[in-house]
Amino acid sequence: MKKPSLFTICFAIFIVCWVFLRFFVGGVISKPIPNSVIAMYMALVFIAILVHISVEDTRFREFLRPIHETLVDENRQTRRLVFAVLIPLLMLGFTYTNIAKKANPPGDPRTVHPTPPDNLTYKDIVLGTMDEAENPHRHLEKDDPEAYKSHVENGRTVYYQNCFYCHGDHLDGKGHFADALNPLPANFQDPGVLPNFSESFFFWRISKGGPGMPAAGTPWNSAMPIWENYLTQDEIWDVILFLSDYTGYKPRTFGEGH
Amino acid sequence: MRIRNFTLLLLILGLFFILPFVHAQGATEAQNIAEGKKVYDNSCAHCHGIEGRGDGSAAENLLPQPRDFTRGLYKIRSTESGQLPTDQDLFDIITEGMPGSSMPEWETALDADERWQVVAYIKTFYEGFKESETLPKEISLKGKIPYSKESIEIGKELYTQFACYECHGDEGRGDGTSAPTLTDEWDYKSWPANLHQNWNYRGGNDIDDIYKRFVGGIAGSAMPMFEDPAFGLSIEEAQRYTQLDNKGEMTDAEEEEYTQLEDKMANAFDILDLINAGEGDEEQKKFYEESMKTFYEKSWHLANYVKSLSPEKRPEAAIGKNSLRSQYVEDELPPMDDAVWDTLEESYFPLVGQVIIEPRQFNPTIDSVSVKSFYNDTEVAFLFIWDDRTHNTAEEENEDIGKTYEDAIAIQFPVKIPKGPTSPKPYFLWGGKLAVYLWQWQASAPEKTTELTAKGINNATEQEFQGDIETESAYSKGQYKLWVKRALETDDKKDLQLKPGVFVPIAFSLWDGANGDVGTKRVISSWYSFVLEPVPSVKRFIYPPIVALLSLGLLIGLRGFMQRRNTE
Repeated sequence: MKKPSLFTICFAIFIVCWVFLRFFVGGVISKPIPNSVIAMYMALVFIAILVHISVEDTRFREFLRPIHETLVDENRQTRRLVFAVLIPLLMLGFTYTNIAKKANPPGDPRTVHPTPPDNLTYKDIVLGTMDEAENPHRHLEKDDPEAYKSHVENGRTVYYQNCFYCHGDHLDGKGHFADALNPLPANFQDPGVLPNFSESFFFWRISKGGPGMPAAGTPWNSAMPIWENYLTQDEIWDVILFLSDYTGYKPRTFGEGH
Repeated sequence: MRIRNFTLLLLILGLFFILPFVHAQGATEAQNIAEGKKVYDNSCAHCHGIEGRGDGSAAENLLPQPRDFTRGLYKIRSTESGQLPTDQDLFDIITEGMPGSSMPEWETALDADERWQVVAYIKTFYEGFKESETLPKEISLKGKIPYSKESIEIGKELYTQFACYECHGDEGRGDGTSAPTLTDEWDYKSWPANLHQNWNYRGGNDIDDIYKRFVGGIAGSAMPMFEDPAFGLSIEEAQRYTQLDNKGEMTDAEEEEYTQLEDKMANAFDILDLINAGEGDEEQKKFYEESMKTFYEKSWHLANYVKSLSPEKRPEAAIGKNSLRSQYVEDELPPMDDAVWDTLEESYFPLVGQVIIEPRQFNPTIDSVSVKSFYNDTEVAFLFIWDDRTHNTAEEENEDIGKTYEDAIAIQFPVKIPKGPTSPKPYFLWGGKLAVYLWQWQASAPEKTTELTAKGINNATEQEFQGDIETESAYSKGQYKLWVKRALETDDKKDLQLKPGVFVPIAFSLWDGANGDVGTKRVISSWYSFVLEPVPSVKRFIYPPIVALLSLGLLIGLRGFMQRRNTE
């Protein structure tokens, strides 16, 4: 069998890389990758190929040979004709689909970590600075496990009377009201949620709800109610204990171990 | 000889595999129950109660109510009417959950062992599970009739014969005349299923699932086990009977035929009584079995028809590529009943109960609203369609459902369209610091749409200057249609101004008066967006050929360049 030309090899590498990114990485391994990211990787592949073929003069000429042949050689008449039709047609189709594409509505930006205010408040009562305010029942976990358990149980009751409609029976953000909401309710089973924030942060998000978020948190979209209107301070702290007890994830603490 | 050895070996091996399981099952039943209790107390008790009475701390606001396990009454079973469910039934319900209720799937949260342990545990709440020595009789799926156009047609006639419409309505939207009177065993209000929304069927929406609900009934609900009103008649005979029954005057021959059919039925019901009483001779038993076979056939046809009423799956919400796109027409915008509306695809907006501000709605009855739209150079028309089982036009006392209010819808837009994704929108629940602009329609004034400005759910005012919003509406067979038309641009500063190509936030509030919806108690959506789809630009016919010609030119140029270099 004839050895494939350098051009064919390079072309094949390019295609294989694209297929690998588009269908294997973005399909088998993980979710589909955005086109812009694929384009970035493909640009790298393209530059690598360019570097490879241009280090030696002879290699570069070897690479260009098939292109040259197709364009000029007398006995490549048919191939030349096919390309002369195919390439403009492809360009025609490509430009048409790009122009005729329907615009999609702007996506909603969403910050995962909206900046909390300096002070933690419940209604108008200041509970301390965001860094210092602590869950008053957390210490019971060590000091009085029985009392701690009853606070968790109370939190469970609060959760299933108020929160599970949206945040779900499994605390995974898939409650029976969730599919009509945008943004989706928080998923406490996600290891990135509870461990990344302090208990005071959760107290703030629960007590002030969607409308209490800063502008960057798109407060106009969140359906999270202002729970300080319905729940007592203790109930909010207890439900936070329940969240961490049920999922096994602990909210982060400040200063511990330093 | 060799073969026999081999068989023996297989047998021994097989025993090795089976024995541990047989052993395990017997010995660990008590252990299973103990483990099941742990899982139950942690995952189920907050709704179903520590003692299985369906009275957990969350139960108060749930409808349908969590199952009371101490009564042994189970809605979703693969067993015949009056029987207990199989273990597999209980396992399946736990695994898959009950769509349209607050019972979620547990497949992701509990592993299979844990789910089986819970099955073992919840059975201890009801003595009947211990007493019954024989296994419950499962509904046979033998003789299933394939899904086809013909079968659906037959099923449609049977829908009338079996009087399904009394509860489920003529077209199946759960709007039958008896619908408001229905309650479940526990005296809670229970609405018949809307057969056009099978994603809410508690027991799943496969044809097999639907068939099982017919044959086994839904225990504790108003859905009866099926009884064939034309028992003993074949499908053709039953069709003929209805045909004659509906006829005003019959000829003598027809009269005779009718009487014969009636006699046949009366005879069949007599035999049915005999069989049910445990009597009847061989011939009668045979006749009974034949008639039951016909009855099962009828149930399959009916299941096929019911399946055909819903879309294949729940429509996708109107986000991204599914966004509501108003289509351009050059001429007058079509009125509500124009057939041209059927050419547009619906945009689907799922709705949920408003649970943010008191009074709240925890048990919504309106699933969604579907929207279509056309616009021309000066005006835009919208068609809003939603299902509501009852037509309520005023605040009144209903003897079956208590106090009812007026049905209504409000369509919400911002007063000013946000410039980009980061510029603020009004709060999605009727605005806040930033105002929203609303079109409110109420069932008592079917031809009027009121313009409101709101800065909060309890802070809405009618606009002083009511613009010209043309309105048409209709309520028919459990479905509302509302058609509104307005100018794209108005002189009123408090109105929304529309331009093609600009995405505009849109949100909905709906009220089902029969479900106690009034004021803040309602169903809502969050912000979506819609656009007056721009007329496709002529550019799409100009640029692509230019690009194609350019690339051809480039190829020719390249060839010329190469040739010249060759000759040099």
